[in-house]
Amino acid sequence: MGFIRNFTKAFASEFRLAMHDQGILIFLVLLPIAYPIIYSLIYNPEFARDVAVVVVDNDRTQLSRELVRNIDACQEVHIIGYAADLNEAKRAMDSRDCFAIIEIPEGFQRKVERNETGNAIFYSDMSLMLRYKGVLTATTNVALAMGSELQAKKINEVAPLASTLTTGDPMPVESHFLGNIQGGFDSFLMPGVLILILQQAAVLAIGMAGGARREKLLYSEGNGMSITTWMLGRTACYLALFMVPAIYICHYVPLMFSFPMEGDSLQIFAFILPMLLASIMLGFCLQGVVTERETVFVIWVVTSIMFLFLSGLTWPRYAMTGVWKALADCVPATFGVLGFIKMNGNGSSLAQVGDCYTALWIQAAAYTCLAMIIQWHLRKHYSR
Amino acid sequence: MKIFLRSLRQIVSRPVYWAAMFILPLFCILLLTTLMEEGLPMKIPSAMVDKDGTSLSRELTQNLGSMQLIDLTEECNSYTEARHLVQEGKIYGFFMIPENFESDLLAGKSPVVTFYTNMTFYVPASLSFKAFKTTALISKVGIIVEVVEAVGGSGSQAMGLLQPVSFVGRPIGNPDMNYAVYLANSFLPCVLQLMIMLVTCFSLGQEIKYGRSRQLMDMANGSVLKAVFMKLLPETLIWWVMILFLESWLYCWQGYPMHGSWFWFTLGELMYVPACQGMALILFGITPNLRLSLSLSALLGILCFSVAAFSFPEQNMYPSISIFSWMLPARYNFLIYIDQALNGRDLFFSRWWYVAYIAYMVIPLLFMGRIKKAFMRPVYVP
Repeated sequence: MGFIRNFTKAFASEFRLAMHDQGILIFLVLLPIAYPIIYSLIYNPEFARDVAVVVVDNDRTQLSRELVRNIDACQEVHIIGYAADLNEAKRAMDSRDCFAIIEIPEGFQRKVERNETGNAIFYSDMSLMLRYKGVLTATTNVALAMGSELQAKKINEVAPLASTLTTGDPMPVESHFLGNIQGGFDSFLMPGVLILILQQAAVLAIGMAGGARREKLLYSEGNGMSITTWMLGRTACYLALFMVPAIYICHYVPLMFSFPMEGDSLQIFAFILPMLLASIMLGFCLQGVVTERETVFVIWVVTSIMFLFLSGLTWPRYAMTGVWKALADCVPATFGVLGFIKMNGNGSSLAQVGDCYTALWIQAAAYTCLAMIIQWHLRKHYSR
Repeated sequence: MKIFLRSLRQIVSRPVYWAAMFILPLFCILLLTTLMEEGLPMKIPSAMVDKDGTSLSRELTQNLGSMQLIDLTEECNSYTEARHLVQEGKIYGFFMIPENFESDLLAGKSPVVTFYTNMTFYVPASLSFKAFKTTALISKVGIIVEVVEAVGGSGSQAMGLLQPVSFVGRPIGNPDMNYAVYLANSFLPCVLQLMIMLVTCFSLGQEIKYGRSRQLMDMANGSVLKAVFMKLLPETLIWWVMILFLESWLYCWQGYPMHGSWFWFTLGELMYVPACQGMALILFGITPNLRLSLSLSALLGILCFSVAAFSFPEQNMYPSISIFSWMLPARYNFLIYIDQALNGRDLFFSRWWYVAYIAYMVIPLLFMGRIKKAFMRPVYVP
C-alpha cells in the first residue's frame, strides 16, 4: 500500500509541477503539435520545380531549338528566355533571375548530323543542391530521349539490318524508387524530423521541469520514499503526458501530409516506446545541469541540429567516422529516426529493425541508471 | 565602462555562457565540417541481383562494382531477398539483371534491366541512382557497338551514334559537389544566429528576473540605450571572435570556395553579429520577459534552418510561407555567402543584403521605450 501511495504522490507532484508552468506546457503541447505542421508545410511542395534557366543558343538551328523546347517541357526546369551571350546570361544569374545557364555551342546540329556527339553545356548555381539536381535530371532525360530518337533513325542509315534486330531499345533500363516512391523532399526529411521533435520536446520539458523544481524548492516532495518509487511515479507521469503527442506525431502527422506510411501502427508504437522512455530519462539526466528553468533553452535547443546530422538521415551512418558514430549511438533519436523511417517508409517489421530496437532498450536502461544517480544527488542537495 | 565590466564578469562567472558562446558553437563547427570530410558518401552499400549468371551479366556486375560510389556488399538471388536487405537497412539500392539476359539480348528480345534505390535515405539514394544509371548506359553502349558490328557496320560509325546529344554539367563554385561545402556555409552561421539570439535574450532577461535591471539603469544614468549597448558589447566582441574563427576555419583551413573579395565578405560577417543581436532585441522588445523572448528566439532560430531556404528553394515554397524566409538575418548571411564567397559576384548584386543588416541594427531602437519600461519595473513571470 505504501508503494502505491508514494507512487501516486510522486506522479501527482510531477503532474502539478508541469501543469502549473506555462514554459513546460509549451514543450508538452505547443511544440509537438505545432512544430510538425509548420515544418511539414515549409517543405510540402516536395520538389524543386521550375528552376529558372537562361539559354545561350549559339547554334540557332532546328535541332537546338528542339532541345530547348524539350527541356522547357520538363517539370524541373523553366526556361525564362534567351540571352545573346554568356555575359548577359551571367548577369541574369548574378541578379538571381536565373539559377542555371544552358549553352549550345555553334555547330551543334552539324556535329549530330555528322554522327558525332553534339555537346551542350549547363552551368549551375551551386548554392542549393536541389536546384542542381533538378537541372541535371532535366538535361539528362532530354539528352537520353532525343538521343534514342536520333539513334533509331541513324542505326537504320548505317546498318539497315540492325534496326530489324533491335526494334527500338536493345536493352531498356528501368528504375524504381523504394520507400519514398516519389522521391519528394518533404516525405524524405519529415518522418525523421518528427521523431527528433518528439525526443527534443521530452528532453526540453523535463529539463525545464528540473529547473523549476530547483527554483521552487520542490525536491523535498520526494523525501520519505525510495528513489525508485520517486522516479517511477515521475516517469509514469511523463509517459502518460507524452502518449498523445507520440501518437499524433507518429501516426496523424504522416497521415495529414500523405507521407509514406508502410509500417504497422502497433509495431511502430512498440518501437517508439523505448525511444520515448530513453528520451525521458535523458531529460532527467539533463536536470543535473539545469540550474534554472530558462537555461534549458540556451544549452539544449541547438543540439537538435547536431542530432539531426548525427542520426544518419542526411549523411549515412556508414560514412561517419568512429567518434561521431559513437556519439550518435548515445542519442535516442538516432535509432529512433533510423528505425522509424525504415518501418514507415520501407515497411520494415519490428524484427527487421531489431538492431535499432535493442539499442533503444539499452539506451533506456543506461539512461535510467544514470538518471537514478543524478536524481538521488539532486534530492539530497536541493530538498531543504 | 562599469556596465561593460559588470557584464563581462557575469559572462565569465556563469558556465552557461561558456557553454552557449564557446563550447556548443565550436562543437557544431567541428561536427559539420568533419562529419562530411569526404565530401560525398562514397562506397554506398548495394547489391546485385544477377538472375542470369552469364559472362555478360558478370561483366555488368564488374562494371558496377568498379564505380567509386558503389560498394557491392551483398549478392542476392531474388528481388525479395534484396528488398529484405533494404528493409533492414543493410543496402541502399540494388541492380537486377533478369533471367536469360544474355540470350535474350543476342536474340534482340530487349531484356529489361532494372535498378531500385531507397529514397528513404535521400543522399545515398540519389548518388547510387546516378551510379546505377551510368553503369546501365555504359553497358548499353558496349552492347550497341557489338550489335552494329555484328551486322556489318564499323565500330567508329557506331560510336558516333551511341550518344548523339549530351550535356556537360558545370557546377559553378563547388565543382566536386562537396556536401559539406553546401551545408556548413549556411548551417553554421545559422547556428551562431540561434546562439546569439538566445544569449542576448537570456542575458537581458536575467536582469529582469533577478531584479537587477534598476541597478543597470542607474549605472547608465537612466539611458536605456547606453545600458543595453554596454551590456551587450562584451557579447558582441566574443561573437566577433567566434565568427572570424568560423570564417577562417571554413575558408582558410578547410579550403571552402572563396571566390570574391575577402574585405566585403568579412565586413558582412562582422555586421551579421549586431544584426542578430538586433533581431533578438526586437523579439525582447516585443516580449520583455525572459521565458517568452527565449521561446520566441528558439522557435524562430530553429525554424530558420528550414524556412531560410538553405536546402529547399524559396520559389517552390508556398508564398505565404516563403515570405518568412526573409525574416531573420541568417537568410542575408546565406545570400552574401552565395554572392561574395561562392560565386565572387560584384558587390552591386549584394547591396540589399547589407542594407538588411543595417535595418536589423536600426529597428531595435523603436523598441527601446518598451525595454526601458520593463527594466524600470522588473516583474518576473515564470
